[in-house]
Amino acid sequence: MIRIEGLGKVAGETRILRGVNLEVAPRTVLGIIGPSGSGKTTLLRCMNGFERITEGSLEAGGVRLEAGLNEKEYQRRVKQLRRQVGMVFQHFYLFPHLSVLGNVSEAPVYVLKRPRAEVEAQARQLLEAVGLGQRAERYPESLSGGEQQRVAIVRALAMRPEVLLFDEPTSALDPRRSNELAGTLRGLVEQGQTMVIVTHSMKFLEDVADRVLYMESGEAVELGDTAQILNDPQDPRTRDFIRHAD
Amino acid sequence: MRPRKSFSPQRRRDTALKRTVNKLCPCVSVVKCSALLVACLVLISADARAQAPLRWGADPSGGAPYVFTDPKHPDKYVGYELEMVEALAAAMNRKPEFVPTDWQTIVTSLERGEFDVIVNGLEPTEDRARVILFSKPYYIFQLQLTVRKNETRINGLEDCRTRTVGTLGNTAASRLLEKENIPFKGYEDPVGAYRDLELGRVDAVLMDVPMEAFYARPNPRLKPAGEPFMRGAYVIGLRKGDDALKAEVDAGIDKITRDGTLERILRKWGLWNDAQLDLRPKPAADGSPGESTPEEVKYEITSSTFNWSEALWRLTRAALVTVLLSLGAMVIAVTLGLVLAVGQSRGPAWVRALSTVYVEFFRGTPVLVQLLFLYFGLPRVGLAMPGWLTALVGLGLNYAAYESQVYRAALEAIPKGQYEAAYALGMSPVLAFRRIVLPQALRIALPPMTNDFVSLFKDTSVAFAISVWELATAYRELANASGEFMLLGAIVSAFYLLMSLPLAHLARRLELRLQRRQALRAVEAEVAG
Repeated sequence: MIRIEGLGKVAGETRILRGVNLEVAPRTVLGIIGPSGSGKTTLLRCMNGFERITEGSLEAGGVRLEAGLNEKEYQRRVKQLRRQVGMVFQHFYLFPHLSVLGNVSEAPVYVLKRPRAEVEAQARQLLEAVGLGQRAERYPESLSGGEQQRVAIVRALAMRPEVLLFDEPTSALDPRRSNELAGTLRGLVEQGQTMVIVTHSMKFLEDVADRVLYMESGEAVELGDTAQILNDPQDPRTRDFIRHAD
Repeated sequence: MRPRKSFSPQRRRDTALKRTVNKLCPCVSVVKCSALLVACLVLISADARAQAPLRWGADPSGGAPYVFTDPKHPDKYVGYELEMVEALAAAMNRKPEFVPTDWQTIVTSLERGEFDVIVNGLEPTEDRARVILFSKPYYIFQLQLTVRKNETRINGLEDCRTRTVGTLGNTAASRLLEKENIPFKGYEDPVGAYRDLELGRVDAVLMDVPMEAFYARPNPRLKPAGEPFMRGAYVIGLRKGDDALKAEVDAGIDKITRDGTLERILRKWGLWNDAQLDLRPKPAADGSPGESTPEEVKYEITSSTFNWSEALWRLTRAALVTVLLSLGAMVIAVTLGLVLAVGQSRGPAWVRALSTVYVEFFRGTPVLVQLLFLYFGLPRVGLAMPGWLTALVGLGLNYAAYESQVYRAALEAIPKGQYEAAYALGMSPVLAFRRIVLPQALRIALPPMTNDFVSLFKDTSVAFAISVWELATAYRELANASGEFMLLGAIVSAFYLLMSLPLAHLARRLELRLQRRQALRAVEAEVAG
């Protein structure tokens, strides 16, 4: 689960996030929407330590980050946090020099120090589950965009994170692949995965998210159940955004 | 230039004193002293052969008749000084060990401890006396001026005031020309000087008679101008402070002079003349020491007797040295280059500054200067490495600067996302660098690295400047011994190509593979977008 209280971020002169309060219950999916530059990606990146918070606190997977921590302690906690929070990037960032199996096994073998044979067996199972069983020995460059994304998801899952973060997962997918992805993610939630997804696609949100957060100008404007936010937004800013969405 | 014996007033007095003593009681005192000394030395070195070898340095390149590559057996050295040192070493109860070196830097190499004595027709000049010790003289030489056969204007040194005279650099002859204000050109070896005389690049060549006798006199296109003139002596050079060794060497010279060994060797090489009698510690009482005069050897310094198969074998070994040098240097360059690259792009400010200074220094100064500095400069602060190690380290340090820039570019080519993906998976910066970034960067760096390796491979030829026996040195020495500059040049080039072409081919293939992969990615991106 994730709990965020009074989170703010200032970088130099610029305020990027302000007073964000948020809770994500276990085994649920939170979708974050908002116009470009609203701070939604920054908020996501705060959740696994890529952006340092400057106000408030953030707790995920049992690890708590606070604004006032000294550098050493902060880094120590970020390290713990990343064991609990996985991330699937918009552009996947697969390792081009490793095979699909290598991409998936790398971190469990070298970070968790688990035996390679065991890790690879588990990796093959995970790949099989997303329909990539035949692709294990291939290299990322020979895979389609959708396949690459599934590898990226499996790579994150292989670390057995409590929370999985997605940054714009549908940006490179056609509607059919988008639907397939939604199915895959729902399957994971049923197995107990907690997720946070930043997206622009209302359709995808409807299919996947339990709750939706609308952000604008670095503020958490409105948080509610997916149906409520999409069909009956309370805040005028949310209403305006939904009206213009696809 | 003054006669060679006037190295120092002190010495002159000593010699004069000895002469007087000799006159007063011939064949008594000096002989007794020497004999006693030799006896003592023999006693001290009871198990004689176990004694340290007599390591002697000389430049064998164009070194006839002193010491040079035998054209009949290019794998062997010959020369009257080689034979003399063998006799001398036997008299000293030591094993001779020849260390080929470069004439221009022979004194420095002695000081560095590359060898223990210089035996290379060394003249005792005042400037050398300041830095090294001299043995007693073992040969009296004269100078001879040589001109082209059709030359009519030059009959002596005084006719050369407005012309350029070729000579060996850093010799009594060159110093004489310098003193007389005659324009001259210093050569590395007599072969080059006489060849340029033939070609008209210089108008005359001044050289010690032994060299003139071997390189100029047999040449029908050259002739002597005037008689030999000036007298000088060859001595053995020793390190300052090696007084015990000097006493040993002097005693040895006395012995081989007295028992006629030296005369036999000199006669064999056609170098004997009456001037040498001055060096005899005692006048011959009766009979003639050189009664069994051996036939004079005629060494032809032409290709007719040049043994090609042995020469090729020597070149092959020199090529192996070249390969090992490049491999060793590349290991240093790759390792240190990586450290520099990481230091320059990731390190704290002072590490960055230091790496940058290093890179700019080594890229901005010639590798030749760096090698000379390492070879001759570092021993002054107590760090003396042998020539091959100096070349290996020097080239390694130099190429590390270039490699670091290749790696830096490669590291910068790795997208930030690769780091983030690694960190997001919980990897530490070190682990992410080692497992994710480095393997990808190396792939990018491989083609330029191979190119660098090819050029490093060729750059090993600068090791020739510090007397490392690699391919370029071998070329010069063998070509000087045989006169086969063209053919040997072609063979040596073939050796280099044989080794560098496969590397270049590999580099091209790697490059192509990388390009193909990039092209593939570009197409994929288009399809995806």
